[in-house]
Amino acid sequence: MHKLLAIDRRIIFVLVFISVAGPLLAGISLPITPTDEVKAAYDQFEKLDAGDIVLVSFSYGASTQPEMLPMSRAMLRHAFRRDLKVVAICLWPEAPGLAQQVLEEMAAEFDLEYGVDYAFMGYKPGNFSVILNMGQDFRSAFPQDQWGAETGDLDLTRGLRSLRDFDLVLDLAAGDSIEFWWIPYGQEKYGFTFVAGCTAVMAPDLYPFLDSGQLGGLLGGLAGAAEYETLIDHRGSASMGMSAQSMTHLVIALFVIIGNIAYFVARRTSSEQRS
Amino acid sequence: MRDTYVFLGLILLFAAVNIGLVASGILAADWTGLGIIVAAGLTLALYSFLYKDNPLFKFAEHVFVGVAAAYVFGQTWYPTIYGELIAEWTDSGEGETPNWWLLAPTVLGLLMLTRFSLRFGWLSRYAFAFFVGLGAGLTIPRYISSFILAQIEPTLQPLTWSLEGLDLLIVLVGVIGVLVYFFFSVEHTGTAGHISKVGIWFLMVSFGASFGYTIMARVSLLIGRVTFLLDDWLHLM
Repeated sequence: MHKLLAIDRRIIFVLVFISVAGPLLAGISLPITPTDEVKAAYDQFEKLDAGDIVLVSFSYGASTQPEMLPMSRAMLRHAFRRDLKVVAICLWPEAPGLAQQVLEEMAAEFDLEYGVDYAFMGYKPGNFSVILNMGQDFRSAFPQDQWGAETGDLDLTRGLRSLRDFDLVLDLAAGDSIEFWWIPYGQEKYGFTFVAGCTAVMAPDLYPFLDSGQLGGLLGGLAGAAEYETLIDHRGSASMGMSAQSMTHLVIALFVIIGNIAYFVARRTSSEQRS
Repeated sequence: MRDTYVFLGLILLFAAVNIGLVASGILAADWTGLGIIVAAGLTLALYSFLYKDNPLFKFAEHVFVGVAAAYVFGQTWYPTIYGELIAEWTDSGEGETPNWWLLAPTVLGLLMLTRFSLRFGWLSRYAFAFFVGLGAGLTIPRYISSFILAQIEPTLQPLTWSLEGLDLLIVLVGVIGVLVYFFFSVEHTGTAGHISKVGIWFLMVSFGASFGYTIMARVSLLIGRVTFLLDDWLHLM
């Protein structure tokens, strides 16, 4: 038992790698059941009519891309399928390249026209003060788009004056922008419908905002993205990753159980030897 | 010494695999292909830390820090500092008046940089005073409204004989238990002790949930990288 407790951690790393790579290579597919909070986010998009405008805020960087990119794709795909218009902004300096990548993918897939079906306003520093600025005057917060075109010259953004002009706001976040920027300075102040997608680490802290109605729906991590892919009936990278996720969780849970059993047995053996 | 040979062997293996991939046409011999090879190499270099700290890991780590810092600087400089501030004066068209209001935040921002000087560092206090005052004024009412008032409402809904009612009861017991646990003016004995113990149990469940979600997040990131290596790089999926 003492040997088991002193196992080389690299053996655990190898087993975790195998539990991730194995299901991916084998193409194992497990059923995915959407949870209420993901369904609520989906329903918020379903409630909108064609032509309604969604503000999508990208607040994540490369380090969380594996979690955030699948949900960005799934939610934007849903929006464009329903002929919604999307105005994208970035509140994280690392986000513009990643946002541009997913927007270009969607533009190619749905044959979208820039400035009419979607617009990309780029990055603006200032955290919550950008949200306050957008609430007061959207055009002063983003006078130009990512490529220098005047906001007033684009068909989609010409009529936007405030955050109240958006029919839905979506924040895709890897930091604290949902909880500490968008809810206090945006949703509470301007009363728009607010939906969020976040990394799994952040998700537990955001559940109270679902109960209070400050969040209209929530996608937490790769699991949330996979559930959303199930709802829109488009199996993407998140769904493919869920079998690996489940297998790895099983391996980790087994290690926790074995570790605890070994610990208690070793402790009992030691106390018996002492007595 | 053995580890040196292991890492040299891995580098040679990585080179051989890439030559094979390009020669067989699996990876394109263009900038996209090169990008995938570089990304795969840096991913493996960073994961090599799991075996042992080594120069490959340090190299990849420093490359990431440098690239990220330069990218953030570029994103802040061109659209904002240059695009909206400097260009206001240098690129304004004929008959256009620069926005003189921009000088106020510019001066305050520059004052913050005086902290680097022993002689003029005191000037930064004016900028910080403005920043702290503005921040507190904006934050306090917003936080009271969003995090206290808006959260009290769903906690104090009427209890009913239903599953929703049971949910509410659990939330109510949890809130009271944790509040008592963090109430240090009364000794945690007797009734207060029992209630605070309930609070501890709720906190433990909360920590467990957070830890579970954290594992899920980290595994998701690993899945992302392994998918990249197996699919985009090796084309095995």
